[in-house]
Amino acid sequence: MLDFIRDPSLYTLVRGPLVWIAFLVFIGMSVYKVRRMYLMAKNDPTLLPSIKPPAVRKSILHWIFPFGSRNWRMRWPVTITTFVFHIGLVFTPIFLLSHNVLWYESWGVSWWSLPEKAADVMTFLVIVTSVIFLMRRIFAPEVRFVSSGDDFLILAISFFPFLTGFLAYHEWLLPYKAMVILHILFGAAMLIAIPFTRLAHMFYFFMTRALMGSQTAGWGGKDW
Amino acid sequence: MAAKEKIVSREFPEYIRDPNPDVGLDETIKDLKPEQIEKTIMAVLGAQTARIRGIMETCIHCGLCSEACQWYLSSGKDPTFAPVAKMKMTVWEMLKRKGKVDAEFIKQTARIVFTECNICHRCSMYCPYGLDITFIIGLVRRVCFILGVVPQRMMDQDHSHATVLNQVWYTQNDWIDTVQWQEEEVGAEFKNLRIPIDKDGAEVLWFPLGGEPKTNTYHIERTAKLMMAAGVDWTVSGRDTWDTSNMAMFLRDFTTMNRVVRGLYDNAARLRVKKMVLTE
Repeated sequence: MLDFIRDPSLYTLVRGPLVWIAFLVFIGMSVYKVRRMYLMAKNDPTLLPSIKPPAVRKSILHWIFPFGSRNWRMRWPVTITTFVFHIGLVFTPIFLLSHNVLWYESWGVSWWSLPEKAADVMTFLVIVTSVIFLMRRIFAPEVRFVSSGDDFLILAISFFPFLTGFLAYHEWLLPYKAMVILHILFGAAMLIAIPFTRLAHMFYFFMTRALMGSQTAGWGGKDW
Repeated sequence: MAAKEKIVSREFPEYIRDPNPDVGLDETIKDLKPEQIEKTIMAVLGAQTARIRGIMETCIHCGLCSEACQWYLSSGKDPTFAPVAKMKMTVWEMLKRKGKVDAEFIKQTARIVFTECNICHRCSMYCPYGLDITFIIGLVRRVCFILGVVPQRMMDQDHSHATVLNQVWYTQNDWIDTVQWQEEEVGAEFKNLRIPIDKDGAEVLWFPLGGEPKTNTYHIERTAKLMMAAGVDWTVSGRDTWDTSNMAMFLRDFTTMNRVVRGLYDNAARLRVKKMVLTE
């Protein structure tokens, strides 16, 4: 098994076509999903006319920063966990030095990258907060009651790319090459899964907030 | 006295409640046919609309809405009272089974959506995504309403609205009679105090709630005194469309809801008033 994972031809496969497929599926399906939601919204006679851009802006800014809303302040442990998790989840892969090098090797493009140490800490924090989320799913009664297999699955999907990346960087458990191949496989799985699972909240967040922000503005109320 | 027997849900063992007999739920489910249930659920909840799909495909099951719910807070933080739990026990299960649920499940659903949720929208203020859980609960109520499985008192109010456009079974005669009677009553205290009915071009058109002419008639008299003291040029409607308490809305009976609201606006247009003032 280990020999198979370490095989250079497998590396060529996952590094080349698989990553292409993952990115194409991720981008293509995400565009399709957002467009589909927009078209459905357009069919609703009252939805789009009710959207008020200033309220949308206010609502998104109110909730995208920690401790702005009442619920973020009331549930501060969850707030800290979720913000640390999401910042690490979104920004570490984009600004990681090793990923930047890969972009540069393939297309000759590169951008600012995180210091190695900071990226390492952020990855570690994503792993820790994932475990906190898992604990919350298991031990918090109101979350346990509504958790089923797919909730644990989507948590696992976002957890394993970071775990394998972390292990590969430190060359623990498995030889570097093997761990990197696993890392790419999990990463590709995550990218592909985003548009098909409730991980799609990545882009639906902005749409659902737009609707609720406009509604509270319509009622003259505050966006808690 | 023997210990009260508890009702435990078949599908969700955590859902334990005291018995709550209601003719509107216990008797009506006896006539339901499976295909009727399936067709209703798929027509109402299976619709591919942005409002429904947006909620179903975004909710990450985080449970952060629970602290918003007065039912959850006042029942010792029982997880089955959390807003997201109410979605799980009703709409998720219905859609997961593609509408193939039995009458007993509909009864449990009706109990959850009618008697354990106040449709107050607080949960959507606490949801990080701003998902309108109440909107979904409202649609589940609509499923129950179309199937006729509604607590008896709520169904009675809806029937009253459908028949006489107010929630208290008042005919137009009863309404005009009550207004004139209150005018007479208040005449003993104030000289020249009138409750003008159908005054064309008045500034304010006042609409009471159903309960006011029925059980709290003094509200009408006091409103008249207030209007007199404030020097407002006001009137009330002489038609049977005077009740602003739209109980049909709580069942999501769209036809009756529409008739009630349209009736109020028709009055305003007919009398060419500047403002409508409602009791609340």
